[in-house]
Amino acid sequence: MSDRRDLTPAIGTRAEPGAYRRAAEGAEVALHRRRFADSLWSYLYGRDTRYRAEEVAADRVSAAALRARRGEMPDTVQGPVIQAPVWTWEVPLYFWFGGMAAGSSFVALACDLAADRGSAATARKVALAAAAPCAPLLIADLGRPGRFLNMLRIFKPRSPMSMGAWAMTLFGGLGAAAVAADLTRRPRLASALGGANAVVGGYFGSYTGVLLSSTAVPVWAGSRLFLGPIFVATGAATGAAANRLVLVGAGLPAGHPTRKALSRVEAGAIATELALSAINQRRLGGLSSALEQGAAGRLFRGARRAVLAGLGLRLARRAAPVTQHLASVLYLAGGLAFRYAWLAAGRSSAADHGAVARSARRQ
Amino acid sequence: MGFFTDTTVCIGCKACEVACKQWNDLASDGAEFRKGGSYDHTGSLGASTWRHVRFVEKLAPSPELKAEAEAAVAAGAGGNVPGIPATRGGDLPSVDELGAAGGGASAEEVPDLVDWAERNDMDRWIFMSDVCKHCTNAGCLDACPTGAIIRTELETVLIQPDVCNGCGYCIAACPFGVITRDPVDGRAGKCTLCYDRLQDGLEPACAKACPTDSIQFGPYEELVQTARGRVQELHQRGIDDAYLFGAGDEPGDELAGGLGAFFLLTEPPERFGLPAEAESPVQENVVPATAAAIGAGLLAAAGVAAAFLGGSRRR
Repeated sequence: MSDRRDLTPAIGTRAEPGAYRRAAEGAEVALHRRRFADSLWSYLYGRDTRYRAEEVAADRVSAAALRARRGEMPDTVQGPVIQAPVWTWEVPLYFWFGGMAAGSSFVALACDLAADRGSAATARKVALAAAAPCAPLLIADLGRPGRFLNMLRIFKPRSPMSMGAWAMTLFGGLGAAAVAADLTRRPRLASALGGANAVVGGYFGSYTGVLLSSTAVPVWAGSRLFLGPIFVATGAATGAAANRLVLVGAGLPAGHPTRKALSRVEAGAIATELALSAINQRRLGGLSSALEQGAAGRLFRGARRAVLAGLGLRLARRAAPVTQHLASVLYLAGGLAFRYAWLAAGRSSAADHGAVARSARRQ
Repeated sequence: MGFFTDTTVCIGCKACEVACKQWNDLASDGAEFRKGGSYDHTGSLGASTWRHVRFVEKLAPSPELKAEAEAAVAAGAGGNVPGIPATRGGDLPSVDELGAAGGGASAEEVPDLVDWAERNDMDRWIFMSDVCKHCTNAGCLDACPTGAIIRTELETVLIQPDVCNGCGYCIAACPFGVITRDPVDGRAGKCTLCYDRLQDGLEPACAKACPTDSIQFGPYEELVQTARGRVQELHQRGIDDAYLFGAGDEPGDELAGGLGAFFLLTEPPERFGLPAEAESPVQENVVPATAAAIGAGLLAAAGVAAAFLGGSRRR
């Protein structure tokens, strides 16, 4: 066993300070003691303390640690074990807008593939419009908003937030370029840029799930394989719903194939979201209480009711067009509530000291 | 460089906390009792508390409280510390309150506090001076998107205050709950292992202030040797519960790859609010989560396209 610590990071390079020089070269640290000084007055040394006769083997040290860490967990956990995330209302709203933008980029690509150029151009505009509030929302959430550009001072594949900041920048840039190409009547360039943006959108719409699951918060970390897919499903649904409403507002006639396809995307994405959430919740076991109780539980139930109502309205065959549009609005509202619910669930999960400690124990 | 904090000799004087606050110019935590259900009034580590002396009241819960806690755990609410009576305005807690809080003994049965404490196994308080662990696989360092958090030449983990923009990701990425964001300042804050003092050859303020040498500072390898010897010594004296939290483990059993600031404890880690296992959440989750997320993102794009193309073919 070596005591030297291997400080090489798993991914990327080790961060280093710019320059370092000691005030006095090779100086000892003043007054630091190398030897342990015994303290016979401690509570551990009662008058009846007896000394063991035999020598203690060296491997007892690691064995003692494992006994304490893998033995029985005490009834009481004196928390906090971890700190609750500090993110406020801006972050889930950003998740919602970002997901909608990513979903819109998928729609733009699909419209292009289906040779509906007009709808594709509109979808690219919707993607850019949904991406526009993202940066201001993220900046507003920072403790030091003036230093937002520090996010772009390094490229750090290890950190989902760094990758997300770059993805957002790239998505916004490509989206703006695509819209500019549309406005200057270069449809082929616009389609190419829009297609590239759909690939970037695949990460931009799902990295938020990676961001949340790469934390110590049990309910997020426990959902690591599901959060990304759930978020991108919500994003696809809200993107399709937003595009449907915009296109209908712009005069897309009922029965148009794009309008039908958008309805299918909405329903399919919402059904996928609900299915993934249900599987994830079952998988989480005891941790899922964070998703069911308190503010998070209320938000999840409200969101589920909204999207199920939307699905119901769509299934009603003879419904008036207005109720069809109401379904799209319900999907948008449900998607927003889902985002707030996941944030609230993380907050309550981090505050549940017992659950945090139990999930840290090796099972 | 690292810290070795020996809880068996800590007397809970909080000199380290005060020294840390003075040297680093940190705000006070107020004097409100019962933060965290304990006589400890500073609660937890955070942006303005880089050293925190945790008070662990060794109280055995009454059967009723235990049943209540078990019911709460079964309902998914999590276990809590049994209520500790607070001192109101400097008064000692009444015998009734003490009995109701921890023991289950009633006033008639308890003639005096000493007797009550002895019969209820409240034989002592345990104190632990908690601090940033300066992990080998540091979650905050992995998460930081600005590069504000670095590994210094002294093997410590440091937040560069002139770079941090207060995004808050390190707070959720720390498995030990060390970091918070200062609401006034807007930046994240945690122990620097007195990076500035070390530059001038001084030992960290907390280690310097500690009157019982509970906090020891020195080169990491030497500290681990000292700590091992200390555990062996305690075991030799019959204190078999003594163990090292964060150092001296076999490869594979380490906490976050080994902790730069480690502890000698005599109770299970959860009593001190420490996780029994820890790893950088980013290193643990980022690869599978990203694979799932990108896969889902591309599938979603393909799915949307399929919905459109399927429709046009049908037409």
